[in-house]
Amino acid sequence: MDTKISAVADKKGIVTLKTIQHTLGKHTNLVTLVVLIVALGIMTGGRALQISSLQNLMVAEAVRAFAALGVGLIIINRGIDLSIGQVVGLVACVSASLAQTSDYAGALYPGTVFPVFLPIIVGIAVGTLFGIINGLLVAYGNLPPFIATLGTMSIAAGLQLIYTRASTIGSLKNEYKHIAQGSLGPLPYLMIYVLAAVLILWIMMTQTRQGKAFYAIGGNPQAARVSGINVKLNLLKVYALGGFLYGISGVLLSSRLGLANPLTGDGMELDAIAAATVGGISHSGGIGTIGGIFIGVFTLGIITFGMTYMGVDSYYQLLVKGMIIIVAVYFDMKRHAKRA
Amino acid sequence: MAQDQNYILEMCNITKKFPGVLALDDVTLRVRPGTVHSLMGENGAGKSTMMKCLFGIYQEDGGEIFVNGKKENFSSAKHALETGVSMIHQELSIVPERSVMENIWLGREPGKKLGPVQFVDHKKMFKDTETLLKNLEMEFSPNDRMGSLSISHQQACEIAKAVSCDASIVVMDEPTSSLTETEVNHLFKIINSLRDKGVAIIYISHKMSEIFQISDDVSVMRDGKLIATKKASELDEDKLIKLMVGRDMTNRFPPVDSIPAEVCLSAKNYTSDVERSFKDISLDLRKGEILGLGGLVGAQRTEFVESIFGLRKIKTGTLSINGKEIRIKSPEDAINAGIGLITEDRRGSGIFPLLSIIDNTSIPSLKGCRKKVGFLDHKKIFNTATGINKKLRTKTPTFHTPIQNLSGGNQQKVIVSRWLMTLPEILIMDEPTRGIDVGAKYEIYTIMSELVNAGKAIIMVSSEMPELIGMSHRVAVLCNGNLTGVLEKNDINSENIMRLATQFE
Repeated sequence: MDTKISAVADKKGIVTLKTIQHTLGKHTNLVTLVVLIVALGIMTGGRALQISSLQNLMVAEAVRAFAALGVGLIIINRGIDLSIGQVVGLVACVSASLAQTSDYAGALYPGTVFPVFLPIIVGIAVGTLFGIINGLLVAYGNLPPFIATLGTMSIAAGLQLIYTRASTIGSLKNEYKHIAQGSLGPLPYLMIYVLAAVLILWIMMTQTRQGKAFYAIGGNPQAARVSGINVKLNLLKVYALGGFLYGISGVLLSSRLGLANPLTGDGMELDAIAAATVGGISHSGGIGTIGGIFIGVFTLGIITFGMTYMGVDSYYQLLVKGMIIIVAVYFDMKRHAKRA
Repeated sequence: MAQDQNYILEMCNITKKFPGVLALDDVTLRVRPGTVHSLMGENGAGKSTMMKCLFGIYQEDGGEIFVNGKKENFSSAKHALETGVSMIHQELSIVPERSVMENIWLGREPGKKLGPVQFVDHKKMFKDTETLLKNLEMEFSPNDRMGSLSISHQQACEIAKAVSCDASIVVMDEPTSSLTETEVNHLFKIINSLRDKGVAIIYISHKMSEIFQISDDVSVMRDGKLIATKKASELDEDKLIKLMVGRDMTNRFPPVDSIPAEVCLSAKNYTSDVERSFKDISLDLRKGEILGLGGLVGAQRTEFVESIFGLRKIKTGTLSINGKEIRIKSPEDAINAGIGLITEDRRGSGIFPLLSIIDNTSIPSLKGCRKKVGFLDHKKIFNTATGINKKLRTKTPTFHTPIQNLSGGNQQKVIVSRWLMTLPEILIMDEPTRGIDVGAKYEIYTIMSELVNAGKAIIMVSSEMPELIGMSHRVAVLCNGNLTGVLEKNDINSENIMRLATQFE
């Protein structure tokens, strides 16, 4: 009955149930996010959606967004990266150590005045370096990415403890903290950085040869090679780009917290992979969009935020989060199975 | 129904249909005990299908199988083995990291009971294996690691495994394809001793000399039919080749009437850097020419053309294009030099299943489809890609449809479009019509004919005899990695191709 009506309506060019369904089906991620926001709004009588709450949400998720974008691109290329959390933590510690106030007696380099851009550059360089190492191991060393990044994860964790002597690096300069803590009107700086990154990466993935090459490698590496794409070089590039983004993530994390310690990045790899997955990045490779990753980050974010707002015990929050990831991937796999 | 006791295996009136193809057409094969029965035929004649029906990998659509006069219908290779029917595959199925004896007894290890628990009796396993290997005169130990043995010894282990199951019928599929001459002789010694014990061996091979050396009986298959079963002593090479290829040619090809001009690609002394691959191949390709590349499975044709395209490494060899020597180290170099390659394995290295037809067509050509800043010119990409696909009559709902939703023939047209979009001077087509229907085949042939008329050159690797004969200006034939001959237009016929393709020494 339904189909009959819509078939007739289609011809007249009227928006029908079927076309709505089709559009919704194509943008499941976005729909989920909107439904969650609306549901949260209704359940809290709108209080949870006040500007200040949303600002908190953005600030909380921005750092994770960089990590998710990095690993999302890697997953599109049929890879994985477990080193994220420890690399972000290491970057946070290194950059924090170069941004401590010079008169602080407990500083790692007491009495030395570093320019404010130095921690940023060094931090991002450390992240990129780890990305390059991962890329070399995977692309040219032919190590399985799971193992290669498991190794670098442990190395980064060790370096953090050695570098910080297992203590917290605090008392950061105000100019440095301002990088992540400031805001432009109601919009936190952090959110602006994320939007800029999303825009640039979106352009890369949709408007350049580079993006096409990444999707091609994820879709069928052998065919990509026959088509003249240098698969190894591109894998190196995507891991390096991932590392670069973790670098930014680490710098922003230390700036936002105003400190860093060896626990700073713990567990971020799982959050980032989960966000990318919820955002529709398929682990069989070649599928997913930058917008999807962005939505995935905020979908997980709003779930955590909503539960906290409504006073759900944080232990239970973990259960709910785990189930959401499983459900999201289950439906994703089902959808792709149907297409194949 | 009582069956003739003179035969140990009878496959009667076996018929097997696949969508659109009659793979086996009423085939009857009878094998006597204590003989070596060779099964011959071109690629795709139905030999493997026949064996797959025997072992229950395929379910035959008609016919009956009798082993020792008893009707059997095996559900799996394991089931067949329990009845004494064993197969040695071309690709050995070994567990390289485990020992010889563990491989031989895998899944049926001798046990010993210790109270209620069943343990593996390693002592018995070792002793049994030792006896087994001694009887077959094999000079390695039950404890040797399987992966440390040479291929011929691994194969010997598989044979030992068959013997250990008291197999009365052993099928060997191209057992000598990766063996050296001394290893072949050793294998033949084992085969002879099995025959003396009353075992029947079904021997599948393309190598004429071996067939006459080892066989008692020979059956020839062609196009899914059994052509003849004869005593090996009644045959010679010429008679055998006639039986294998004799077929009528119908009008399945468009006319190819271009006249080849000057040489555009010249490969000299091409030798693979992998051992036992192609050696010292020198070939010229001319503008406006379709050069067929024939040979049997394993002749290293794909390896050779993929080396020209930069996908595989060579040890020695030079390549010139239009008289200029160039070095091609990667597919990118090849594309820049005006070469395109349609690979043999469409699913494995051809299509990007989830990407659209546009993306699948344009991927190697994106360099030329950019605007000033380096951004992609989507309009140009769309227009060019759809234009070529329309010309080739690719049937698809829209050009944004993922390629995996198309039929094999249409996928192939997209892949051809992909390479036409790179504006190649030389197109290498590896099995261009594999797995596509007759109508689409004709369309692909027509495109090929138009291309050479426009002065392009094509290397066509093909395992289909009629295709080689119907489409090529010249046919180069490889056998076991060697170029055994190049046939000019007037000499191209099945007999000559098959003779060169089986010229192993």
